[in-house]
Amino acid sequence: MPNLAFFEPIAIFTLLNVAMTVGLYVTALSGQLSMATAAIAGVGGYASGILTVKFGVPFVPAVVGGAFLGGLLGCVLALLTLKMRDFILKLTTLAAGEALSVLAFNWDYIGGANSFTGLAPHTGLLTCVTVAAISLCVAWRFDGSRLGYAARAVRDDPLAAASMGVSVAQVRIITFALGSAIIGMAGAVQAHYLLVVTPSQLGFFVSLNYMIFLLFGGLQTLAGPVLGAVVLTALPEALRFANEYRLIVYGLIIVGVMLWRTDGLLGRTPLGVARRISGITLRSARLPQSMLRAEDVLSPSTAAAKQTATTKSR
Amino acid sequence: MSALLHIEGLAVSYGSVPAVDGVSLEIEPGELRVILGANGAGKTTIIKTIMGLLKPQRGTIRFDGEHDLLRLRPHQIHRLGIAWVPEGRQLWNTMTVLDNLRMGAFEVPDENAVNRRIGEMFERFPRLAERRHQLAGSLSGGEQQMVAIARALVSSPRLLLMDEPSLGLAPIVVRDVFMLAQEINRLGIAVLMVEQNARQSLKVAHSAYLLELGRVVEAGPAAEIAGKKSVQEVFLGGTA
Amino acid sequence: MDLFLQQLSNGLVIGSTYAVVAVGFALAFTVLRVIQFAHPDVFMIGMFSGMMAACIVPGGGLAVALIGGAVGSTAIGAVIERMVVAPLRGRDVLTTLIATLGVSIILQNGMAAIIGPDPIPYPRLLPTQFYEIGPVLLTLRQMFCLGLCAVLLSLASFYVRGTHIGRATRAIAERPDVAAAFGVDVSRVCRITFWLASTMAGLAAVAVGTLYGSASAFVGLLYGLKAFVCMLVAGNRYFEAVIAVALALGILEALVTGYVSSSLRDAVAFFVLIGVLYLRPDGLFGSYTT
Repeated sequence: MPNLAFFEPIAIFTLLNVAMTVGLYVTALSGQLSMATAAIAGVGGYASGILTVKFGVPFVPAVVGGAFLGGLLGCVLALLTLKMRDFILKLTTLAAGEALSVLAFNWDYIGGANSFTGLAPHTGLLTCVTVAAISLCVAWRFDGSRLGYAARAVRDDPLAAASMGVSVAQVRIITFALGSAIIGMAGAVQAHYLLVVTPSQLGFFVSLNYMIFLLFGGLQTLAGPVLGAVVLTALPEALRFANEYRLIVYGLIIVGVMLWRTDGLLGRTPLGVARRISGITLRSARLPQSMLRAEDVLSPSTAAAKQTATTKSR
Repeated sequence: MSALLHIEGLAVSYGSVPAVDGVSLEIEPGELRVILGANGAGKTTIIKTIMGLLKPQRGTIRFDGEHDLLRLRPHQIHRLGIAWVPEGRQLWNTMTVLDNLRMGAFEVPDENAVNRRIGEMFERFPRLAERRHQLAGSLSGGEQQMVAIARALVSSPRLLLMDEPSLGLAPIVVRDVFMLAQEINRLGIAVLMVEQNARQSLKVAHSAYLLELGRVVEAGPAAEIAGKKSVQEVFLGGTA
Repeated sequence: MDLFLQQLSNGLVIGSTYAVVAVGFALAFTVLRVIQFAHPDVFMIGMFSGMMAACIVPGGGLAVALIGGAVGSTAIGAVIERMVVAPLRGRDVLTTLIATLGVSIILQNGMAAIIGPDPIPYPRLLPTQFYEIGPVLLTLRQMFCLGLCAVLLSLASFYVRGTHIGRATRAIAERPDVAAAFGVDVSRVCRITFWLASTMAGLAAVAVGTLYGSASAFVGLLYGLKAFVCMLVAGNRYFEAVIAVALALGILEALVTGYVSSSLRDAVAFFVLIGVLYLRPDGLFGSYTT
């Protein structure tokens, strides 16, 4: 029976992933499913790293700095994609993330291709627990707040939300910024565990991972991202014994779950099984679900026109 | 059972929201029947379910006494001789008028028959013949409705499903559309029309249903329905 | 000027390969209304099955490799369609995206488990020969690649505009319900379209493998992203727009590589994407509703 030390890295990564996925969840509450999560985390990591190593800033303020920069980036992304519909938005954030990754690769001040090194190991299990707890707390409060309701309204029907006096633009910017701040914070903490920040960490494949965690677990309740992050982080670790094949099994599980979930991905509860197993009372969505149909993707101009009309009238 | 189309106990829901709640109706060969209802009554849902585009929770739909439409896919239903004139026309706007008509008989193998039919359509609708190479999206509302109807007729159907043909059209055009429906019906084609325009549709229909919130609340000959107080109040603007 | 023309030609070659993959993506996207995330990996499988065919069949040359590539990619495409895409038809776009993403992970890592994660050399199916066309120097492999892709793209364009079924794909892309209601067997057309896209990808993959002289389990990643970007930038109104954008991207990348820096090459696509979509969310040439 392996001792506790064996589980520590798994636990740390799980907690960090939970925090990141929760951050993504917050952003997604207003219908913006960002694919730049890893890039934002990376920016938080670089920021915290630079602050501690080059400017001698202590750990906690550096993490706050990371969170702040993450939030700022979220703001920028939100502004960039304000006119964009669901799907194009995702792709733009993906592109932005990739662009940042390439930038990081080429910017020698922050290490360039040789990564940014020299970080001090400030992160321990306790730090990660704190970070995860903070993210969950913030997300929980946000979820149940008026802003949270407004975010959901914007997600499901921006036109209706606008006609009820909600500023679609403001809500989107705030949720993106808030979610990104959480992600930035987690990224900063992660950097002090890994002790390096590499440009490849900012890439889309890592961002995709977080999105999979979120969608796998379910978008509608806070338990979703938690479940998704926990299951999908622990699983590959547990499968480490079959090292070559673990990613294949991972892929098989993803395909299997997608084929199995009969009520589609944006279900009211996470994996049906979880609802019965866990004793947690899962808060179901308060507003009707909006299923993303191909039609929405292929004819974005009507919806986009509505949104533009909405945001212009502010 | 002489009915061309027989629907029994149909229930259709969107998620957990019931749109059609236990509807039974039928239409005889060569008949022009109207389903009247306000917005949200479930009219389009019924049409789409007949066409195989929606799956009901309960109920049966039988065509010609033998074909269970619920087992068939839309293109197979079309092959049986049921054609659809969708709500809002739904033409292929980036295709020409001619191509729209050609697509109306997509799976008909006999090219000559199809071309003959298209020729007949252009004879009946000279305005469309003039515009045959124009993009369907550039036509006026009335012309688009003609294309939509012609597209449905190209496959020589036995039953025509018309979903709110008068929607969004100018009053003078509306009159023409209902006359056209009657003309088609007189050729022997059964027409099942769903409409909000009670006055005009009851003038051309043989019989009618009144649909309210997913249920049939009235049924009978057109004249009788027109005289009913419920219809008068809701659709005809108060008791005469 | 010479550098410009040289890079232009190089870019055209690469762009044509992007175009073939992008066209496959676009066909799947507009007709099947799904993001087939594993399409670039179908491309990758084609590359390897072509290689295998050339190695197994005695005296196997380019023709054998092409056939092997086409067969392999079509087979895997058919399997994906039957097992993953078809059962999920009608569901959320994201569901199919994630599911095909899972397929992509399986294929990539499966192949990596077999041949290792690093690139392996591709059989020499064409001699290394240079041709001078004016100031431009092109290899035989480059020309073959360009030629093959040009043929594939013309065939695809003919398919969409000239054939009965191809026209049905346009009808499905614009109004799937109405197409079905007027006699189009949508699932059959989707299946055929899927197979065609896969076959095209497989053929192009063999050409690309020959061009670079190497094949990797993860070649699909970057190809897929760029092809995807092309599709989004082009919009889905005009089929040929995707081809034009892909060629332009290839040329742009080559010019950036030649004049600026080669490490920025991969970022070009993304900057273009952000720029275009910010100004025209429907893509350069618009969608069906514009």
